[in-house]
Amino acid sequence: MNINRSNKRMLTGNKAAAWGARLAGVEYVPAFPITPQTEIVETLSQWFAGGTLKGKFTNMDSEHSMFMAAGSAAATGVRVFTASSSQGILYGMESLYTVTGWRVPFVMVNVSRGLATPITLEADHNDVMSTRDCGLIQLHAETCQEILDFVLMGYKIAEHPLVSVPVLVNMDGFVLSFSREPVVIPDEKSARDFLPAFQPAQPVFQASLPMARASAVFGGGTYTYFRIQQDLAVRQAETVFNETAVEFADRFGRHYEPLERFHLDDAEVVFVMSNSFATKGKSAVLRLRKQGVKAGLLKIRMFRPFPDEAVANALKGRAKVAVIDQNLAPGMGGITYPEIVAAMYGRDDCPQKILSVIGGLGGKDIKENDFLSIVEKLNDPESKGPVFLYDEGDWKQFQQMQKIAQL
Amino acid sequence: MLRVRFHGRGGQGIKTASQVLGTAAFLSGFQAQDFPLYGAERRGAPIVAFTRIDKEPILERGPVAFPDLILVGDETLLEDSQAAPACGADALTTLLVNSTKAPNSLKDKLNLLTMPVTCGLTKLCLKHLNAGMILSTALAAAAARLTGLIPLNHLLEAVEIELAEFSPEQLQKNLDLVREVFELLNPVVFQEREEAGLFPSKLMALEQQEVRDAAPLITATGNMNLRKTGNWRIHRPEIDYEECNHCMICYARCPEGVIKEDAEGKPEIDYDHCKGCMICAQECPKHAIKTLWEMDYEHQSQ
Amino acid sequence: MTTTAEHHKKIKDLHPQEGMAPGSPLCAGCGGLEGIRLALKELGDNVLVCNAAGCFTLLSVYPFTPFKGSWLYTTMAAPVPAAQGVRDALDIRRSHNRLANEDDFQVMVVAGDGSSADMGLSPTSAAIHRGLDFIYFCYDNEAYGNTGFQLSGTSPFGSATQTTPVTGEHPAGSEIRKKDLFEIWKAQNPPYIATVSPREPIDLSNKFARAKTMKGPRLFICLSPCPTGWGVDPKDSLLVAKLAVDTGIFPLKEYVDGQVIHNRIPRKRIPVEKYLEPQKRFHHLFVPKRQDDIIAKIQAGVDRYWERYE
Repeated sequence: MNINRSNKRMLTGNKAAAWGARLAGVEYVPAFPITPQTEIVETLSQWFAGGTLKGKFTNMDSEHSMFMAAGSAAATGVRVFTASSSQGILYGMESLYTVTGWRVPFVMVNVSRGLATPITLEADHNDVMSTRDCGLIQLHAETCQEILDFVLMGYKIAEHPLVSVPVLVNMDGFVLSFSREPVVIPDEKSARDFLPAFQPAQPVFQASLPMARASAVFGGGTYTYFRIQQDLAVRQAETVFNETAVEFADRFGRHYEPLERFHLDDAEVVFVMSNSFATKGKSAVLRLRKQGVKAGLLKIRMFRPFPDEAVANALKGRAKVAVIDQNLAPGMGGITYPEIVAAMYGRDDCPQKILSVIGGLGGKDIKENDFLSIVEKLNDPESKGPVFLYDEGDWKQFQQMQKIAQL
Repeated sequence: MLRVRFHGRGGQGIKTASQVLGTAAFLSGFQAQDFPLYGAERRGAPIVAFTRIDKEPILERGPVAFPDLILVGDETLLEDSQAAPACGADALTTLLVNSTKAPNSLKDKLNLLTMPVTCGLTKLCLKHLNAGMILSTALAAAAARLTGLIPLNHLLEAVEIELAEFSPEQLQKNLDLVREVFELLNPVVFQEREEAGLFPSKLMALEQQEVRDAAPLITATGNMNLRKTGNWRIHRPEIDYEECNHCMICYARCPEGVIKEDAEGKPEIDYDHCKGCMICAQECPKHAIKTLWEMDYEHQSQ
Repeated sequence: MTTTAEHHKKIKDLHPQEGMAPGSPLCAGCGGLEGIRLALKELGDNVLVCNAAGCFTLLSVYPFTPFKGSWLYTTMAAPVPAAQGVRDALDIRRSHNRLANEDDFQVMVVAGDGSSADMGLSPTSAAIHRGLDFIYFCYDNEAYGNTGFQLSGTSPFGSATQTTPVTGEHPAGSEIRKKDLFEIWKAQNPPYIATVSPREPIDLSNKFARAKTMKGPRLFICLSPCPTGWGVDPKDSLLVAKLAVDTGIFPLKEYVDGQVIHNRIPRKRIPVEKYLEPQKRFHHLFVPKRQDDIIAKIQAGVDRYWERYE
């Protein structure tokens, strides 16, 4: 049966990521496998081995090595793609900080998965949030289409002369990485027109351009200068994203903003979400509206740079806002919550209540009923965050397991 | 508060000097703080350490910018723009230099506002320790005495505490040295500094630079020679061309690569960069490279 | 026995070029600095150094670099993966006709023993496995020198380090043997491994001359006296390097075509204590009381090694 309808194909999130890299004409993929990212690197290795992609696929020995090779190859002037997840992000963290500071462009995909301990395979966002401060640009995808499009757009943003930092595209493990849905695959020529071959914005390593890169500094003043420049570059990426999105829409018909507004215009209760569970949030909004709750949803696509003005504009004047974090900073709560609150700080039109909600940890489902519970908490003047989406059923189930585990 | 700054070279015991003074002040009933500044520099390179002494709790951290007392362990540092031992010195600052020169000549040469104190500590160190440039206890003793705040018994106790790992003989030698330095000098009267009013820093919003200027990138390759490491030298190698047979072993052995073959095929030392490791002198098969004291050489050349 | 003609026979044969400018903040008398200086004299400027965190981090401190060629500062564990990325990118650009022949260069990892034998070993093993075309220069000063001389994987038995202090309970200082990086690499059968001494410029230059014509992973282990950590006067730094060779404690050798070749078999080995005694890190073996058992154990290790070759 032919499932190809007008360039649309059923693709998993992982395959969509690989297609994004393929259409970007990546030349180099240093790779290391980790569940649930493996399908991405397996697919790319086949395309390199079969000659579909020209360049090199190198099997690395760890994520620490992989990110370092990605950075050094980008510094040598080739277009680089790589992907990881979860523990791999943590293992590679030193290299991530290092190469972002080099100010070299490449695109990486993170397939979100909860972090040990306890070890788990299923999705949450502690892994991607751990890269929050390392100088990457972060784009979070809800659909397989967004994954492909963000990878393609990612190169345009990363390689922009005013940006020149790596872009991370995030997708949820399992729920998106292994879910197939129809994805429009742009044709190669349009992709090439949108994204021409890599033109480095700075000198790259070659014998005729000797240079020292990433030398040590002594004295906080010099260090601070480079850090401020890094901040300016990452901030600049919001403008570049918007420009890129316009060009992308002209060419491919899909327009992206750093934020997506779902039934937001008249919403009194707003859920702030990101990634694939935003789909569940949208469904809940529609059902709540049927029950008379004026709900809406704000989806964060771009988490770094943090689009604080846009967030403030989207949330201003709303009565109640619930920030649903699929991550946990123990002793603090949700990681994105303070950022949303800070965006609203000092505004007259700040919502009456902004509540921190934590759910979806380790792949735990967020049920539509949970959204009604959140509304109740928002309406309860006594309620305080963080509110955990953990119910009596969850507790009963756990007690049974504990009975088996303990003597 | 009394703010003391020690200048010397890595390996001369500058950090220990600041610590002996810190402990001595503490034992004398003061609030004390000592702090070494580690930079990129290594053994032989200029280094600096600080001691703060006060009756009240000390609400300062980090380097001392405006010292009341400066101790310069190595005279060759005086004209070193990187070490800049006189930096921050004003009319209230006392500067002690380990030197046998006349204070007058140093004052004029360095444009100091006050008359420096000179004291030939190297000779005393040689006498007691059989090593001229292990200055830790001598400098601490000089500082302690000049402050006029620390009695000898607390100073000696501080030396015993800080040199606890030394053998009894070595410790005794240091104690003798400390006694002699202490008795040689007289206390200075330090005036309490008037606190200047605060004025706001001129904060600025940096503009974004092009990426090649925004990342740590150096395209002026080989520019390290702009750093003149010649000021590290305590010893100075000098080639006796009468003896030299141009074998060029010295050139092959020099880790810094600062010995070159000149037009006549003779080795020539780049004194701007020679750190004075003296490997060349040690390795010269003809023993044609002499080891001079850099300090003496400077004397002679003046 | 030698396999190829020697390019260098005397000091004056050393290449006159200097790959590094003076002025670096490294310690006076650094044996490792002399080692890399001699290496670059032979290799020339068309080299990119991927540097591991360590003493040599200080070779380039912004805004200065001593190198006429290129430098990339990495991390302690990932100089080799950085070399992999650069080498791969150069190969890709060549195959895509985006790199002129003369724009290619030799990729060289420069790392201390801590990186080489400890943290960076797993990525290095992987790169040898992949057959990465690179030179690895390990300046082995037998401890974590940059942090003040703590025990590393190559600190020798009987040496005092900041984290293996000599006490009544532990009269030897370090009680474990040095990792043999030469043998570790050899197990993976790379095309070339050599030990070099900064005191042996002819031998060192010949080895680099040989290695630079080869492809694949090539290792140089440079025993690098550290005046600061070893406790010797800077002027004696290279003298100690010489004693390491003359006592047989540091064999000068190569591994080529699956064979280990000793470049110099000391005909009459000097007793190891002549090497140990001048160094403060071995001081406790002689003062206040000679620890003959420990010295004998070190000597026996050296004797056992050479019995195979004498």
